[in-house]
Parts: sequence; C-alpha cells; structure tokens
Amino acid sequence: MAREITYLTDVFLITCVVQSGTAEKIINAATSVGAQGATINYARGTGIRDRMGLMGVTIDEQKEIIRIIVSKEQSNRVFESMYLAGDLDTPGKGIMWMSKLDRVATHIPKDVLKRVSG
Amino acid sequence: MMKFSDYIHESEIKHRSLSYNLLTPKPQKNNPDALKPKKIKVSFFKAISLLMPYTSVRVMEQLKAVFPLAAYLFIFQLLILRQPISSASTICLGLVAVIIGLAVFMEGLKVGLMPFGNIIGDNLPKKASMPVVLIIIAILGVGVTFAEPAIGALQSFGSSVNPADAPYLYEILNNWTLPLVLIVGAGVGLAAVIGTIRFVKGWSLKPLIYLALAPTIGLTVYAWLNPDLKTILGLAWDCGAVTTGPVTVPLVLSLGIGIAASAGKGDSSLSGFGVVTLASLFPIIAVLSLSIFVSFQITPEQIINGYEANISNMENTNDEVSLMSQTPYQEIILGVRAILPLVIFLMIVLFGILKSKLPDNLVTGYGLVLSIIGMCIFNIGLTYGLSNIGQQAGETLPAAFMQIPISSVSPIYTEILGLTIVILFAWLLGFGATLAEPALNALGATVQELTNGAFKKSMLMYSVAGGVAFGISLGVAKIVFNLDLATLLLPLYGIGIILTILSTEEFVNVAWDSAGVTTGPVTVPLVMAMGLGLGNAVSATEGFGILSMASICPILAVLSMGMYIQIKQKMQTRKMEA
Repeated sequence: MAREITYLTDVFLITCVVQSGTAEKIINAATSVGAQGATINYARGTGIRDRMGLMGVTIDEQKEIIRIIVSKEQSNRVFESMYLAGDLDTPGKGIMWMSKLDRVATHIPKDVLKRVSG
Repeated sequence: MMKFSDYIHESEIKHRSLSYNLLTPKPQKNNPDALKPKKIKVSFFKAISLLMPYTSVRVMEQLKAVFPLAAYLFIFQLLILRQPISSASTICLGLVAVIIGLAVFMEGLKVGLMPFGNIIGDNLPKKASMPVVLIIIAILGVGVTFAEPAIGALQSFGSSVNPADAPYLYEILNNWTLPLVLIVGAGVGLAAVIGTIRFVKGWSLKPLIYLALAPTIGLTVYAWLNPDLKTILGLAWDCGAVTTGPVTVPLVLSLGIGIAASAGKGDSSLSGFGVVTLASLFPIIAVLSLSIFVSFQITPEQIINGYEANISNMENTNDEVSLMSQTPYQEIILGVRAILPLVIFLMIVLFGILKSKLPDNLVTGYGLVLSIIGMCIFNIGLTYGLSNIGQQAGETLPAAFMQIPISSVSPIYTEILGLTIVILFAWLLGFGATLAEPALNALGATVQELTNGAFKKSMLMYSVAGGVAFGISLGVAKIVFNLDLATLLLPLYGIGIILTILSTEEFVNVAWDSAGVTTGPVTVPLVMAMGLGLGNAVSATEGFGILSMASICPILAVLSMGMYIQIKQKMQTRKMEA
C-alpha cells in the first residue's frame, strides 16, 4: 500500500516558559481543557532575575519550556487555563506565547480519519 | 452567533491587547545607556508575592520529610506504648527549627556553596596540575565533612556512654571529638581523591571495593578480638553512613565530574558513581585506626580515672556553666564552625589559586549567609527536636516487652508479641523514612535511565527501602538482644562481596552507592538517638550500629535484585531463541 501524509491545518503552538517544577501543574490544567499532549524541555533563563538584585534569588534560574499543539478552536481556552494555572500574572512566574503553525503531520488512526472526513 | 471558545474566553478572564512597541526601550540621542536594561525596583507587595511561593516551596519540601516521621513516632508512643510524650512542646518547636533550618540551609547550599563547587570543578584542572587538584580535593573532603548537618549529631551523643562498659568509645566521643571528625573527614577526602582518579582513568569499581574492604574488615577483626576496642565498632561503622549527606555528595560529585569532563572522560554514564561508596568505607577505616591509636596512648583504667576526676570537678563547678555552652550560643558556634572553614577554603582556592570571579557576589554571599544561619537553626532543632524525640522513642520502646521504670504499665504485651511489635516498628520506620528521602527518587530515575528500563525506578526504590527497613530492624534487634555487631556485619559483607563478584559493573555501582545516598540529615540523627535511647533503656553496652546495618542491607537488596533481573533477562532471551 502506498504511504501517505495527512496534513493537519488550523493548528496553533502554545509555548510556555516557567520556573522549574511548575510545568506539571500547567500541563494538567491544559489537558483538563482538551490539550492532547505536551513536550517539556529544560532550559536556563535570564531576564528580570538579573535585574532585581538580591530579590532575584526568589526566581529559579532553571526553567521548563512547555510546548503544546492545539487546534484553533481550543487554542484560547487552553492558553487561558495555562496562564491561570501558572499564575503568570505574578511577577517572575514566566511567559507564554502562541503561534500559528502552517501544517502538522503525525499518525492519525484510520477509524478517526474515516469518521471526520465522513 | 458566538463560538464556544469565544464564550469561554469572555467568561474566564478579562483581556486587552497592547503593542509591545510601547514597552521596549527607545534609543535617545543624548543618552547612550537608554537601550541597556535598567534595574528593577521591587515594591513591598511585589516582594511579598515573590517571597511567599519561594519560601513555602522550600519549607514544604522539608516538612514532607520531617512531619510523617515525627507523627509516626508520636502516634506509636501514645497508642502502642501508652506513654505520654514528655516535653512535647519543646520537641515540636525543635522540629519546626529542624524544618526551617534545613530549608534555609539547603537553599544556602544551592545558591551559595554549589556555584563554588561548579566553578572550581570546571576551572581547576585547566589551571592547576593534577597533584595540586588532588590535594585540594582531599582538603575539601575534610571541609565538607564538617559542614555535614548530621555530623553534629555524633558529637552530642558522647555523654550517654558509660566509660566502665565502653572505655574507648567514651574517650573518643568525649575527648577526641575534633580528631574524630577530622579523621572521618580525611577518610572522605581520600575517597574523593581516589574517586576522582577513577573518573579520569575509568577504573572499574569492583577491585576498588575489594581493596577498600580488605583493610576495613581486617581492622574490624582486630578491634573485635580486643574486648576494650570491641565497643568502638558500632560507632566506626555508623560514621560511614553519617558522612554521605547533602553537602558531601553534590559538592564532591560536581568537582569530580568537572575534572573528568576536562580530562575527556566525562561522558561515561557511570562516572558519577563510586565516590559515595568509597566515602562511606574509608571513614570506617579512619575511625578504627584512630581508636587503635588511642588504645596505644591511654589504658582503660586511665580513662575511667579521668572520668571520675571529671565528675568530681563538675560537682565543684556546677553553678558556673559558661555562657558558651548554653543554648543558643553553643549551637551557633557549632554552626559557624561547621560552615566557615569550608567557605574560607573554597574562597582561597577560587580567588587565590584560580584568580577567578563569582558570577554574582551578592547572591553567593546571600547563599553563604543562609547556609550558616540554616546550620545554626538546624543544630538547635537537632538538640531539642530530633535527638529528643528519637531518644524518647528508644527509651520507651522496651516498655512493649519488658518492665522499665519510666512506664507504669510496662510490660504492656507478652514478651514475644512485644518484641514483634518493636521489630515491626523499626521496619516501618526504616521503610517510610527511606521512601520519603528525595535523593532516592533521583537515584531511581538515574538507574532506570542507565539500565534502559530493565531496573525500574519503583523496583530500586522498594528494594532500597526494604533493605534499609530490614537493616534497621536488625540493628534494633542487635541492641535489644545485645548481639555482637561484628558477627552480624562480617557475614553480611561476605555475602556482599560474593554478590559483587557475580554482578555486572552497572549494578555494582548502583548498589554500593544506594546505601550512602539514602541516609539523609533527618533520618541519621533520629535513628542514632533512638538507638542510644534504646541501648540505655535495655542497658546494652552501646547503642550504635543501627546505621551500619541500614547501610549494608540495601546494598545486598539491590545486588540481589540486579541478579534477579539479569537471570530473568537471560531466561527471556533463551525463550526467544527456542
């Protein structure tokens, strides 16, 4: 059988950089409102930490980068629940952004394909 | 019509859009610094909102380690032993001091001491010759031993030994404490040096274990055959467990790994292991050598005479307790004495030899201050909290099976039932305390990665915890039945050697390190105090030795588990072939 690719469109990528140890909470919030999975990277960050003098020690230099691929429909919902779960409105907690993806491809089960494309 | 996602959007959180252009700095004609980032002023309320999560995370971490243990001891004493807890409020305050002290100390270690270790480890091999590097590592070994929180516990148990029963144990714990800690440190230093050479040369750990065990066992047998020295064995073997704590392991490892990396040998996944093993064996040799040296210097009669002279002296000068030996001054002095030499030494190496700078003087300074303050608070908590509760538990334990003066209802149970309860108590204590140790979790994850999932994290954690639990039960049994420590240790280490010969290098590395990693700053003083209290209550000669049992048993457990996994894998491949 010939192999083929199904391109997914209407896809967004949410990236969220937070202090080490807080990723789990944020991912739980994201999956509870429909996100299908997440990738975590470990990283080291600089920023306001270095400009706050001694208060900088309260912010962990080690970061976790969460990446979640979402559909356009769910993107705002997931974005907001991650923002709230991570308390990103508190200083030093982290930063997140969302970008539009051109196309995404992965394994899609046959029955699912059949169901959605009818 | 509104889409569902928009509806959620509107209902959950208010939002507005803002151009980032408005926030980024703009070039100004007369001000060349306009584009440089400015210092941020933190207002009081912002500072609070930053400090709250920062502190609570760190305090909670320690609370999780201390609270279940303390609750277990309290409940056991109240319900099973039916003995009220004396000075409960003092103990609770002491435990709070332990939690806060450890939280502060660990943070200080992370932001203050560890950066030193990392910078020195990275730069030292580039700027100094190998012998200089090794000398520095050896001195560092002594320094980190002083800074180890659990080592303070050793020094505070001296007064509980009866010189008539165990003359040399009394002498060393009372009049030789400084040489004792120094020589234990020398043992750790030597271990760090050999561990580093091993990193660089890529030696196998097995022959090193045999070479280190030979003198250990030789000296043990020598001391065992001498009735006056025999009582020192428990202390000597326990010292191995005390030294491998939260200061020594990361600092020595970061140095060793840095050096191995600069020698081009840092990529071996096993290079991090082995130092802990050696650092728990060499102190045993060191303490045994010290006590044999002491035995040539002074006879048991002289010690007992000195003790009696001391007592009559004490009676004369009883009223004038010097300010320095009072709480909290004594604890503060101990705390400063523990950390300061290490800090000064690290500074000499960094600024004097490496001529290097710290990334952030302010933050490192803050970390160093924290580690000293944390150590002082922890020391206070150690005296009033951990030692107190451990000793009380040990003293009341025998009420389960024999009559003791402090409990009016003793013996509560029949002898056999009571003894079973006590052993079961020790087992559960060891199992719970070990599983709660954060270092074990980290080790488990490393091991799972190292063996490509063959040795599962949970399997390692349960075999280590089971081993420690069995070891602590055995140690308690040793004190209750007044068993001979050497007759327990020698066969166990014999089995250990046989299993080591039969196992592969990976499992040997993991197994021998697992014991040292799991004896943290909370468990060690608690178990030691419990052993000594128990020893006093059943009038055993000495209450040491529990920790030494808790060291060898997990080694055996992990080695046997490794053998089991290997055999299972072989069977599977055979099945596949058939």
